[in-house]
Amino acid sequence: MMLRMVWQRLGIGLATLWVVSVIVFVATSILPGDVAQIILGQAATPETLAAMRAELGLDQPGYIRYFSWLGNMMTGDLGISKAGGATISSLIGGRIGNTMMMAGLVAIISIPISVALGLWAAMHPGTWLDRIVTFGTLSLISVPEFFIATVAVLILAVHLHWLPSTAYMSGDETFGQLMKALAMPLITLVIVVSAQMIRMTRAGILNVMSSPYIEMAILKGVPRGRIILRHAFFNAIGPIINVIALNLAYLVSGVVIVETIFAYPGLAKLMIDGVQTRDLPLVQACAMIFCGTYVVLILIADVGSIVSNPRLRSPK
Amino acid sequence: MKHNKSKSELDYKDLTQSDKDLVAKLVKGGFSRREVLKLSMVTGVSLVAAEHLLTDGKAVMAATPKKGGTVRMASSLHGPDDQTDPPQFTSTIDYTRGRAVYNGLIQHANDLTPQPELATSFEPNADATEWTFKLRKGVDWHDGSKFTADDVVWSMNRHLTEDSTSVIKSVLATVKEWKKVGSHEVKAVMHSPNADLPTLLGMFQNKVVKDGTKGDWIGTGPYTMESFQPGVKSVHKRNENYWREGANLDAIEVTGITDTVARVNALIAGDMQLVVQIDPKAFRQVEGADGVTLLSTPAALQLGICILKNTKPGESDDFVKGMQYIQDRKRIVKRVLKGKGSLGNDTPISGAHGNDWCNELPQREFDPDKAKFHFKKSGESGAELFVAPVTPGIEDAALLAQANCAKIGFDLKLKKVPNDGYWGAVWMKEPMNVVTWNMRPTANSQMAIQFGPGGNWNDTFWNNDRMGELLKLSLAETDTAKRHAMYCEMQTLIHEGSGMVIPAFSNINDGIANNVMGMPTVPLGQLGACEWPEFIWLA
Repeated sequence: MMLRMVWQRLGIGLATLWVVSVIVFVATSILPGDVAQIILGQAATPETLAAMRAELGLDQPGYIRYFSWLGNMMTGDLGISKAGGATISSLIGGRIGNTMMMAGLVAIISIPISVALGLWAAMHPGTWLDRIVTFGTLSLISVPEFFIATVAVLILAVHLHWLPSTAYMSGDETFGQLMKALAMPLITLVIVVSAQMIRMTRAGILNVMSSPYIEMAILKGVPRGRIILRHAFFNAIGPIINVIALNLAYLVSGVVIVETIFAYPGLAKLMIDGVQTRDLPLVQACAMIFCGTYVVLILIADVGSIVSNPRLRSPK
Repeated sequence: MKHNKSKSELDYKDLTQSDKDLVAKLVKGGFSRREVLKLSMVTGVSLVAAEHLLTDGKAVMAATPKKGGTVRMASSLHGPDDQTDPPQFTSTIDYTRGRAVYNGLIQHANDLTPQPELATSFEPNADATEWTFKLRKGVDWHDGSKFTADDVVWSMNRHLTEDSTSVIKSVLATVKEWKKVGSHEVKAVMHSPNADLPTLLGMFQNKVVKDGTKGDWIGTGPYTMESFQPGVKSVHKRNENYWREGANLDAIEVTGITDTVARVNALIAGDMQLVVQIDPKAFRQVEGADGVTLLSTPAALQLGICILKNTKPGESDDFVKGMQYIQDRKRIVKRVLKGKGSLGNDTPISGAHGNDWCNELPQREFDPDKAKFHFKKSGESGAELFVAPVTPGIEDAALLAQANCAKIGFDLKLKKVPNDGYWGAVWMKEPMNVVTWNMRPTANSQMAIQFGPGGNWNDTFWNNDRMGELLKLSLAETDTAKRHAMYCEMQTLIHEGSGMVIPAFSNINDGIANNVMGMPTVPLGQLGACEWPEFIWLA
């Protein structure tokens, strides 16, 4: 049953990937200018433009370029960046590592903190501590991440000189130096991501707390902490996993602002650069990675919520 | 003069760049009682402190550059389109890497005179239809092979072929071909005489690569390429076999920080020692910070508005005059550029071009009454200007023009568009659009590119036969006075007749750490036209 669902989801995922590739291709083609115009920029002349288009194979019609890209993609060949001439895999290679490292570190820090704080707030609803958590997280969700990032840089880097203002990695630093270099974007992202997860955890559990079987447990005299940890938490885990999955997907694909402010070489920034230079193969490759990440993470979240819920595990 | 120490303890290295320049000038002036007095008067430090400063400054300047250390530089733009091949270089980060790894035949001095680099001498024949270059012997490529004339012929001819994608193909259009004369001698055969050829050869794209290669980061330059990640960074190590003194640092790291605020913060926090393009809004922040200096080099970076002469409304000369008189030039320099700029006179030539600037051409002033008169005569009551942030300050200058137009009842609409795709989709297409140009090394190439009749980048579509004639004649003229008269006539023609509005020129504004010494100030690009890798050292 579950296996069938996984296969079904994977099939839908592949179809989604294909649709996304078409949309991205068309959207990038609609933008004014092509990669030859962008590279030559103000210095373009009709002759140099024609020469460069021929060199890059841009003189072929769009659908031929699309299908040759699709064919190469199937065989695992991501192609060559039209803008700089490096292979796409070499451009993406290092950055995918950076992005995954950042997402992983943020997840390791923020998931336990969020779940713990969310649970804790749910155990003591209406108290001052709960209010501080609720109010604090709501404020942090409302503040855009570039603001948090800029304030953090201003205080911790420019005035106090505790941390570097950019996430500049020379490649041969020790673990401690690496953590110091990454501290600022980590702090920013942990704040942004945790706020949302804390609220969802708290809301999910309080939602379950109003159901009849919890009332029963309360009437039987089970302590509140035990009710939450043994009964409510496992029933609230579905939505929590979903929020975590969405936040992880955001950490992989949506952190372009944080990457820009801290000059962190991640994938999201690479995709924006690709769009700005109309570097289609690069944009396509990044889009496929992001879309694939979403599909996989949401699949895991679905499987997770099914496993945690007996009713979904064996439907009538 | 800003500092934290008490005045008598103030050392030369604590000074801002402009104060250092002053001290340098005074030290060269003789270092007598008079210089001490003058420094004290200008800067307000005590006589004792002034004397100490001059002594210390003299010692620092006399000191031979120290070897060692690593410098990190952050450019404003980088990405997967970072180039490896000199003819394709288009941004500061490309130019910098090119300067570190390769050499050119010629390089520019601070005053833009051409200096021999890989060429030891360069001479034209009698009618300047051929230029002969003697090449340096005993120069090695980074892979150990010898540098010869073949490398030069290959590199230079790459700009000229039919299928060339070189960015400066048309700039070098006067050259027919490059020929090998001997193992270390080449000549350029010209289509038409060009006295400026050596200066043009100092351009960023003219770096010499190894015969048969597309660069590939094998150069003869002061630093080798250790690692290159497009859009991330490059790391360079000192070339221990470099053919001349220089290359003082152990290593340099070249990266980009696109966000302007983040770039300034990285400088102030000490993460970067050199950063390019400080926004006018951040001048005060950099000037107020400890340990860093705002390096402002006068240049001809135009804040321009192109009004197309081949269409409405620009075909009316009165409309153009209206747009020119409504520019509050002094205010743009003072408020928008915060004083780090110079007045424009609706020509692309500024004082930074030296003798070829027509100083005697009367300055066009802000005159709303004249503007109103000309707008009325043109029959237009409004117009649309396309504005993209192509250079710092251009948007604010456009807003100022809009406000002044409103005061005389003229409706100037601003259509804001992104930089992204601007040069292909808006520039030279919309009837009125903003423009900027990198400063070209000669006044002739600067005017030829924008105002040569029928040229590829004649961005106001103003075609004047006399202008074309003068552009050619002036290249062959060797008499200084006659040459200046020709350049003045050209600037007057542009000032009076073209569709170009240039209210101001911006300086080149970069940030450097105070312990960086020996910074060049070539005005053709950021950070001394990227000439710094070979020359700077850390105090």
